[in-house]
Amino acid sequence: MGKLAMVLASGELEKLQAASIIASVASTVGMEVLLFATMDGLMAFRKDVVEEKAWKTGELGKGMLEKNAPLFIDTLKQAKEVGNIKIYACGMVMDMLGLKKEDFVDIFDDVLGVTAFLGMVEGAQVLFI
Amino acid sequence: MQGEADRVIDARGSYCPGPLMELIKAIKEEDVGTVLAVLSSDASSAKDIPEWVKKAGHELVGVFEEDGYWRIVIRKSR
Repeated sequence: MGKLAMVLASGELEKLQAASIIASVASTVGMEVLLFATMDGLMAFRKDVVEEKAWKTGELGKGMLEKNAPLFIDTLKQAKEVGNIKIYACGMVMDMLGLKKEDFVDIFDDVLGVTAFLGMVEGAQVLFI
Repeated sequence: MQGEADRVIDARGSYCPGPLMELIKAIKEEDVGTVLAVLSSDASSAKDIPEWVKKAGHELVGVFEEDGYWRIVIRKSR
């Protein structure tokens, strides 16, 4: 069924929502899905950001929060229960800012560098978000 | 009622992909042959769940429009 990889580099809620839905559904129909969260896309998983729902949003994102749409984090957690999906955090950003895995919500399978991620995504369709 | 089910998943009020994710979790727990019904008030789920069922290799018994929601009935096939 193939392999789908996504680089989550944006902290915009709308983009994270869209990416999480596509990734999750793909993971449940037999695709191997790999996500790499980096830059603002990684910051969106920080515990304090998640607790305060302090994501960058436009009108649509505000509406999603008001309507209690399933959040990307919950969608990804559910996908991990039932699908073939792995989520990695970018080690470079964490080193740079002195952050640890514990500073983020409990969702990452590992902390990786770019070389390791590129090795994993060989032969995959890669989307950059 | 058309499309009786062994198990009903009430996902009304939840938005995409909530109903689908709840269905997938339930499917994992049940045996092959079990008939499951998902109730969804979300129109996009009513369209997308049958697509998922096809792709995942299960049988779509039917999509029934009820009063303000859809009842999507499927049989676990593998």
